[in-house]
Amino acid sequence: MLSTILIFREALYGALVIALACSVLGVYVVLRRIVFVGAALAQLSSAGIGLALFLGGLGIGGVLTSHPVAMSLLITMLGALFFGAGGGSKSGVPPDATIGVTYAGAAAAGILLISKATTGEAHDIFLQGNILGMTLADTTVLLAVTIPVLLVHLVFYKEFLFVSFDRETARTMGYQVTRWNLLLYGTLGLVIAFAMQFAGVMLVFNFLVLPAVTGLLLAGSMAGIFTVAILSGLLASLIGFALSVPFDLPSGPAIIACSTVMALAAWVVRSLKR
Amino acid sequence: MSALVTFDHATLGYGAKKILTDISYEIPEGDFLGLVGPNGAGKTTMLRNILGSLSPLSGTVTVRPGLRFGYVPQRESVDSVYPLQVVEIVMMGRYDRIGLGRRPTKTDRALAIAALEHVGIAHLAEQQLRSLSGGQKQRALIARALVGEPTVLVLDEPTEGMDLVATTQILSLVRELHAQDGLTVLMVSHALNEVANYVERIALVLEGGFRIGRVDEIMTEATLSSMYKIPVDVKVFDGHRVVVARRVAAQPTTGAHTHA
Repeated sequence: MLSTILIFREALYGALVIALACSVLGVYVVLRRIVFVGAALAQLSSAGIGLALFLGGLGIGGVLTSHPVAMSLLITMLGALFFGAGGGSKSGVPPDATIGVTYAGAAAAGILLISKATTGEAHDIFLQGNILGMTLADTTVLLAVTIPVLLVHLVFYKEFLFVSFDRETARTMGYQVTRWNLLLYGTLGLVIAFAMQFAGVMLVFNFLVLPAVTGLLLAGSMAGIFTVAILSGLLASLIGFALSVPFDLPSGPAIIACSTVMALAAWVVRSLKR
Repeated sequence: MSALVTFDHATLGYGAKKILTDISYEIPEGDFLGLVGPNGAGKTTMLRNILGSLSPLSGTVTVRPGLRFGYVPQRESVDSVYPLQVVEIVMMGRYDRIGLGRRPTKTDRALAIAALEHVGIAHLAEQQLRSLSGGQKQRALIARALVGEPTVLVLDEPTEGMDLVATTQILSLVRELHAQDGLTVLMVSHALNEVANYVERIALVLEGGFRIGRVDEIMTEATLSSMYKIPVDVKVFDGHRVVVARRVAAQPTTGAHTHA
């Protein structure tokens, strides 16, 4: 089994980097109750790829279409800024409905655009990703994005925590809450846009939610949540990967299944403790 | 006493919607003011103008330079899903003093513990906020406001959802902080009967109306009947004022039409 896994070790490194970054950001996603913003951003990212492939097939768009990640990044960041600035909360539409509209619209747009694109892969790649196809070069790109993001979160942990936990009080103490939210959502969009290229919507969404939920269930402190989330994200990647290669299972769903089992186990442990 | 906050012919609202018009009053240093009125009357709008998160539509709201507000939000606005210890939450009151990107030090922690002692719950410092009762949570949030060494303590509906005992304890604590520490206090509440026996002045905010004065000026049958537009009695029991609305015939609600 080990030798088989080693053949795909480059993909495993990539999966671990995605798991690490998404698990850290996922703590804020879960605590702030913006789980479906993560899903909507992932779908926007996939729509960006679809748009790039569609326009690229028509021979228009330049850099944005010759590198689908650029278009994906642009669309995802626009979505991140929109949600970071309040997600149209003043429009009278409930915030979760706005997220739902974005999710549905982006999902449909991604599929329609790719179906009419003359280049590109089958649309299910958006959902499942192609994590086994990751190379060391891909992982290097991912690291170049995630290391600065994680450093920003390490340095400004206190600020992100405060504006997430109690924005009104933060505002009265002079914090530019909207700017901090934009930075938080911006880092989220950045990681999602890059992770989406390889991991697909389902796996990115999994890493944004399940490890953090496991952390929330098992840990009694913020440091504990981050630690458990990171460890469970990494462990699920490792085990899911180890099971998927020899048993010929799709890697993404195998990792998600492992994350789900961990979250359920954490829930059982938490219930027994009470 | 110099004014900490001055409203000068200020019209308050959001966008094109005016909620309170031509408001002029001052909050002097050492004041203990209750901002009282029903939900939706404009208390929060006025509070946000004081705290600087909203600007008046016209006129001015001037806050003395260097003023520090110790804000105590509504208890329910603080999310208990976060696994934070009470002392960690109290230290947030010093975050702006600690500085961007820096971590709280032992001194910040010691000051947070001292603030918790001041409000009588130092023994709960390492408990999680979600394990506390409503009254204890409120004390923790007051401690967080105090640890920032504020000029003005601002409490938003501090007794909302509390029982009689917890309400009395919290209001007594706030009165002690005002009397012993000389803190200027602004307390927002919808419960006139609760607030009136603790504060020194009342700003009554009713739909389209505003009146401010000493408690004995505001808590009169004539003033309150005129403001609420129904007859009320003001009774005094053992030094405590209680407002009681007289029974009136049921009126058609606004929007119900009758035809001659």
